[in-house]
Amino acid sequence: MLSSRAVFISAAGLLASLGLYLLTTQASPPAPDPALPLAKTPYVLHHNLSAYTDFMMSGGPPPDGIPAINDPQFVDADGADLDDGDMIIGFVHGGEARAYPQNILVHNEIVNDAVGGLNVAVTYCPLTATAQGFKRGDTTLGVSGQLLNSNLVMFDRATESYFSQIAATGLTGDHAGASLDEVDLIWTTWGQWRAQYPNTQVLSEDTGHMRNYSNDPYGRYNPTGGYYSAREVIFPLMEESDRHHPKEMVVGARTAEESVHFVLDDLKNEHVLRAEGFVAVYDARFHTGVIYHSSDPPRITPTDDGRYEVDGEMYAPDDLPLRQLMSVDAFFFAWNAFYPNSATA
Amino acid sequence: MRNAWRTLITLLRVARYRRMALGIGAAYLVLFLVALRDITLGGSGVQFAAVEWPRMFEPTSTFTFEAVARLTLPGITVLIAPLNILIGGVLSLLAALNLMVTYVAYNQPSACSFNRSTGILASLPALLAGGACCAPAIVLILGLQVSSLFITTFQVLIPVAAVLLLITLKLILDRTHPERLSLADA
Repeated sequence: MLSSRAVFISAAGLLASLGLYLLTTQASPPAPDPALPLAKTPYVLHHNLSAYTDFMMSGGPPPDGIPAINDPQFVDADGADLDDGDMIIGFVHGGEARAYPQNILVHNEIVNDAVGGLNVAVTYCPLTATAQGFKRGDTTLGVSGQLLNSNLVMFDRATESYFSQIAATGLTGDHAGASLDEVDLIWTTWGQWRAQYPNTQVLSEDTGHMRNYSNDPYGRYNPTGGYYSAREVIFPLMEESDRHHPKEMVVGARTAEESVHFVLDDLKNEHVLRAEGFVAVYDARFHTGVIYHSSDPPRITPTDDGRYEVDGEMYAPDDLPLRQLMSVDAFFFAWNAFYPNSATA
Repeated sequence: MRNAWRTLITLLRVARYRRMALGIGAAYLVLFLVALRDITLGGSGVQFAAVEWPRMFEPTSTFTFEAVARLTLPGITVLIAPLNILIGGVLSLLAALNLMVTYVAYNQPSACSFNRSTGILASLPALLAGGACCAPAIVLILGLQVSSLFITTFQVLIPVAAVLLLITLKLILDRTHPERLSLADA
């Protein structure tokens, strides 16, 4: 019969083995050529890089503990199991339209995809409601398990540089201080996206990862509830403000020198909002905003068909004859934590 | 040590204690897997999917690991992560034995050289072990803001709970005298 000593030693050995395994588990070694496309000039930061790295903290999972989707499969619009009110992340390039359902991205956060011949990483952080796309060249991005201001920190598998998603800027490694080359994603509902892109492809739940895609660990969007509407924020923030509800959706943008944000519902009501050096217009097709940089913007008049009149010409919201910036939808608390001095209407 | 083992075997020879331990252990394992989100609500139809088995060693967090299969049933989805089941099984076994022995100590104080309240206190590690896997759920439900210290603490809670359960189990068993137990089966 087994002695109690043997049972105790076996249990201790099992725990020690697991601990040793975790200690020795590391991300794969860096490849020699990163080939990660970077922006010509980095975005403005409101803190020093060292302040960001000091504030960065583990969210629990190790690198790749939240597994990115590296071999995405797609179905056509009729094959998608989505309701019109379900949130998706849309991307169009080279004549191809793709929809990435929020209920999948909440579990995987990054899709390393190729759309219309362009290698992109489609990224989503459920805690900050931010969907941002980045050119990725020949490398892939992974989920680091670290958080900065409750927001996703990604890593480039080639160099193991860490990047903040919202700041779109390198925090550590070879690319520290450099900004990623962003592509424009749209955070909208399936019904709105499909109305504009009926031939869209939709990310399949056949992701190669075993998850329950019908269960959101944080809350729900159709209708909005749980974490997505509660005042509480789970992880610490570098800056806080009570100017708006923390989960109020804003649309923000940044340049090399400054940042701006507009409350999405205000933009919906006013159609055109201005802040110093910026102007935003509402895009009713997707319930989002488009931000332009202009020190002296012309008169912009909304029309009944959702377009805008500028100097007698009609333009779609995302096609005004101004310098368009990369617009990011986000919870207010998250934008404010990164850009506390952001200009606004 | 020998006394502890002898007491445990003596108790497990009694069918009602065996059933009690089995019931507590099974319930604890299910709760553990629910807290890890390996058992979640949502799902339609009946489907089974699997990926390659070596992925069971990929960690999803400290002491939690990847699922290699998914069973979808109407209204419920079960992710099968062998190492989570193994770790949950060890914790469940220890918690079940602790609670079973605590129950005996409470009902038969004459067989134990400590009082009833001590026996109940001894079951606290079993509750801590429960907290080890419930922490993220508690954070979300209560809307707590977590710190780095919380995350670090949470990451070692499972092994700490296992060690505490081992210690308390041995302490209670050492102070329980099998010859004084009334073992009439129910």
